[in-house]
Amino acid sequence: MELQEIAEFLIIGHAERVEILTRQALEAGYSANDILQQGLLAGMDVVGIQFKNCEIFLPEVLTCARAMKAGMRHLEPLLRGSTTTSSTGKCVIGTVKGDIHDIGKNLVSLLLQASGFEVVDLGTGASMEKFMESIQTHRPQIVAMSAMLTTTMTQMETNIATLRKQGLLEGAKVLIGGAPVTAQFARDIGADAYGRDAMEGTAKARELVQSLKNH
Amino acid sequence: MNSRERVARAMRHEAVDRVPVMCQLALGHYFLNCQSAPLDIWHSTESFGEALVALQRRYRFDGILINLPGRDPQWRSYIQHIETGADGQTIHWKNGWITECPRDDNPHVLRPDKSRFFVAFEEIDPDSLFYIEPHDLSGTSYPYCWGFSDDPAPGTSFFPPWQCDTIRYVLRATDHVVSVHSEIFSPFTQLLELLDYANGLMALLDDPLKFKACLKALTRGTIEWGRLQAACGVDAILISSAFAGGGFISPQQYSEFVLPFEKAVIDGIHEKSDVPIYTHTCGRIADRLELMGATGTQGIDTLDPPPLGNVDLADAKKRIGDCLFIKGNLDPVNIMLKGTPEGVICEAQRCLEIGAPGGGYILSTACSVPPHAPPENILKLAEAAAGFDVEKSNRSGVETGGMTLS
Repeated sequence: MELQEIAEFLIIGHAERVEILTRQALEAGYSANDILQQGLLAGMDVVGIQFKNCEIFLPEVLTCARAMKAGMRHLEPLLRGSTTTSSTGKCVIGTVKGDIHDIGKNLVSLLLQASGFEVVDLGTGASMEKFMESIQTHRPQIVAMSAMLTTTMTQMETNIATLRKQGLLEGAKVLIGGAPVTAQFARDIGADAYGRDAMEGTAKARELVQSLKNH
Repeated sequence: MNSRERVARAMRHEAVDRVPVMCQLALGHYFLNCQSAPLDIWHSTESFGEALVALQRRYRFDGILINLPGRDPQWRSYIQHIETGADGQTIHWKNGWITECPRDDNPHVLRPDKSRFFVAFEEIDPDSLFYIEPHDLSGTSYPYCWGFSDDPAPGTSFFPPWQCDTIRYVLRATDHVVSVHSEIFSPFTQLLELLDYANGLMALLDDPLKFKACLKALTRGTIEWGRLQAACGVDAILISSAFAGGGFISPQQYSEFVLPFEKAVIDGIHEKSDVPIYTHTCGRIADRLELMGATGTQGIDTLDPPPLGNVDLADAKKRIGDCLFIKGNLDPVNIMLKGTPEGVICEAQRCLEIGAPGGGYILSTACSVPPHAPPENILKLAEAAAGFDVEKSNRSGVETGGMTLS
């Protein structure tokens, strides 16, 4: 079998086929990392481009992400100790306090995991204390926050200011996103990057980790 | 010309003495800027009615959008106890459910295990759907029941007898001189609220036929609710269709899953009433303005400008301004929430200069005015409209080849 086939089924959002093919690829002796890179991520890269070009929209992206998750279920246990993937970085991610929206956050979380990040997902309505505790425990390179509402986007500013004051962002970068959020807002509140959508958010996280490594 | 006449004339592209002003306010804005507690504004018909009228008067708006239904007068009898914390109040209902009421945002209804209620698409029988009220006291439910009463459909109609109480309250309080608009949810919005947004969007691809059967069933209830509102005497009905923009679905998906059902809703209401109906879809809608018009809607609310959306007001005016009235385009976040009063005047001026010539324009924020928007910013909208010379703008519109008044 060809790993390209996994990518092709992922691009059309066929979760069942992706799961079967991932299992078959492992049985055929392919490494989990090769299946991830040449199958799932190769497919997701195409999805990202199609989404950016408005060739597909959120329903398609969500079904592709579901297909990716189906494949990841078989790869995750094998990738967990792999040097190739564990080196990407750690990310603590959550929708901030008061906000229950999670489509974007879940997509970013999934794509980061697929990119080899170790992701600690705090879910929705994550309090400042939850972020602080998680950062202290996991020492991530990326702290990602999402807010869908104008009432909750200001919580990101409070979080960033407090986390900086407490010294918890040393060695870490902050990535934010959400419907009312703009690049200008990200700059204004002291975030290091802004992702317009899940694909861009994931790409920015990779860049931020790279910039930390370069320093 | 009173406010009611002014808005009515603007919706019909007729001459007005000044451009009308009317914004949808986020419910959190009422919570923060009215006397009653958020918990009461959300749960009580009278408290919400008072809040609607108080802020319409304070901001000198020409109209009011009633964006919550009437409430069960017995709502307090279902409460076990209320807890007050730093971030707001929590209601513990007798059936074990919980409503968290933040001081600045919509309450969230949670089950005893603190999860939100959603139903799996596979479990839904389209025949059991009629209307889903996302703002019901107990949130969405399936099979549908209202509030915390055990009665699944109080009274003889699906809609409970108190459903129109807020409309009646506001009509009485404003004495027919203010334009009173009510709200129905698009079948597409209702279904996504019931399924959870992500699951709903995937369901649309997983089983399009069943998805459409659900939308068709919800269309029946939406028509009935719209007819009830029209019969009360509202001046316009807004279709809330928040998930129909480019941030969610493609123009093709809009054509398939939104357009036919919203068109059926509009046609169905218009069979019994000639009440104006307009549509609120936020975010990126520049690629579907004509499709929105094809639903038979008479106006488009929102028209978010960049960076929140992608609508250029001049372009929209050129494309749909002859047929549909336009309400909006003023950035609610970057201008109204984060801007200054001077900035609001400046942006309002820009919207008026582009929107007003030829009529059919209502000055408004694109999406809702955010909860924390400073009242001094909002007050500048009426000031900008009052200082804008409509006749002069029409003359310059004619001189520059713009549209003329009908």
